[in-house]
Amino acid sequence: MTLRLDSLRECLEGIIPGHIVTCDPGGMPNVAFLSQAEYVDNEHIALSYQFFNTTRRNVLAGSPVRLLLTSHLTARQYRLSLQYLRTETAGPLFERMKAKLAGIAAHSGMAGIFRLLGADIYRVLDIAPVPGGSISPPQPAVNCLNALRRSTDRLGNCANLECLLEKAVDCLEKEFGINHLMLLMHDEARGCLFTLASRGYAQSGIGSEIPVGSGLIGICARERSPIRIGFMTSEYAYGRTVRDGLAAAGQIDALETAIPLPGLPNAASQMAIPIVADDRLLGVIYVESLADLHFGYDEEDALVVFAGHLGLAMLHHQITDETPDETPVNERPPVQLQGTPLTVRHFATNDSIFLDDDYLIKGVAGAILWALLDDFTQRGRTSFTNKGLRVDSRIRLPGASDNLEARLVLLQRRLAERNAGIAIDKTGRGRFTLTVERPLTLAES
Amino acid sequence: MLDHDLAAFIQSGVSITLAACAPGRLPSMSRGYACMPLDSDAIGIVLPRSQAAEALDNIRLTGRVAVAFSQPTTNRTTQLKGTDARIAAFDPADEPLVRKHINDFVPEAIALGTPEEMVRALLSYERNDLVMVVFTPTSSFDQTPGPKAGQPLLATL
Repeated sequence: MTLRLDSLRECLEGIIPGHIVTCDPGGMPNVAFLSQAEYVDNEHIALSYQFFNTTRRNVLAGSPVRLLLTSHLTARQYRLSLQYLRTETAGPLFERMKAKLAGIAAHSGMAGIFRLLGADIYRVLDIAPVPGGSISPPQPAVNCLNALRRSTDRLGNCANLECLLEKAVDCLEKEFGINHLMLLMHDEARGCLFTLASRGYAQSGIGSEIPVGSGLIGICARERSPIRIGFMTSEYAYGRTVRDGLAAAGQIDALETAIPLPGLPNAASQMAIPIVADDRLLGVIYVESLADLHFGYDEEDALVVFAGHLGLAMLHHQITDETPDETPVNERPPVQLQGTPLTVRHFATNDSIFLDDDYLIKGVAGAILWALLDDFTQRGRTSFTNKGLRVDSRIRLPGASDNLEARLVLLQRRLAERNAGIAIDKTGRGRFTLTVERPLTLAES
Repeated sequence: MLDHDLAAFIQSGVSITLAACAPGRLPSMSRGYACMPLDSDAIGIVLPRSQAAEALDNIRLTGRVAVAFSQPTTNRTTQLKGTDARIAAFDPADEPLVRKHINDFVPEAIALGTPEEMVRALLSYERNDLVMVVFTPTSSFDQTPGPKAGQPLLATL
């Protein structure tokens, strides 16, 4: 039986370097060590091209290529026969390999020396096991396929986006056993992602933002491709790259920087998975761990499928929330508010909102809250619809792909975290209610 | 002739990989289990016959061989090549050298997080399966990753 490449993918994680052998036109063999190989599909493998060396010269001169791969889990070895096809120097595969190589370089003391020049794509002609000793692989911590089955079952039972997001992070934590994770939504108009849910951090970071293209999460979003790193590398360290990215793009002012990004400062394993549906990037799932090589190909596969299900469910909820249910809504009778008055300050330049002197939020979510509080103080209004917000000239939503429902969840969560006596809650499809528990003073700046 | 430093390096706890090519340029390879300098500038590489069968066939046909030596913890890598390779029987009296090489290699691999059990399984062997390839290095190359990778080591040969 011919071996399939997907049955030996652990050999490609870079723990034990592959050995690549070629032959020059004069018949002299050459051996080189391969930093990294990447599974493309069962017929194709990508090898990292970092230096123009004898191997590359031989390959370009038409040498057949053999590869010796070794499993760090079982010690089994495999001999692959390859045919060079082409080199990619940009795009999802290149970025996946570049990120993974940064981790491998850091792990092997080669940071700053290993630099990906290209992803060489080869056709896999044959895979043969090499006779030799082996050991049993360690027991996997999680059965990814079963975790996926249970998770997708659970996603199907949500009434709205908020419930869906909560279930999603709950599945990642409980079913997949992931202790540190974030769920970020895509803001197409502003070219960034905002954190909407997280688990495993001292501060939730809800509302923090990352530009598309910056850091591991931003690159995952830009390329719409999973990105996975198995070892700690300063090159993709979270805070630094994001800040560098912001400064380089001159976006410091435009982006949310008052809310710190959550994230482990010393994560060894990191993985970002794009949430794509109907050819649109909806968000990114980000997971991390202090342990080396915590996420492998199986975890990546499972989370890609999970993100696919989550994306379709998100689209479904966004569409249904555009058509509010027809149940008549009765405004609650006004009540006399008690307690210490709360000053809500709005800065029109960026729609930022401060509760007393504490920053809450800015941007579209800030504009929404200001409009709601204005209606409440002027007219005692407490019931609102998504449809109404969409045509409200005070809010200036960026267009059809505005992620309104996600922005409402963001606002709801920021208010709940602040716990200052203002709350919004879903009351039905495309409807929500505003609750104010303290006397308000609105101040426009 | 190998200088003292290089001779010591290729006998230390390095990973050893031997390659040969068929007349039609199809390359083949095998891990090596020990390296020993022999008389008259030649060196011997100990291999498991079961893993190296194709490479041994190629050596019989062409005599050309390339062997890479790499130290996992430093990435120092050297490749030696020769054109007079031949196959010799493994002398059981040399087995302590094989055991020494494996014992020297194990801590190198463990330092990078590979469990000892796995390394020992990878380099496990049957004494009757061992064979030696003997050749005279005629060129050597520094393959330590970096801008100098692939340059000939002029001083050593």
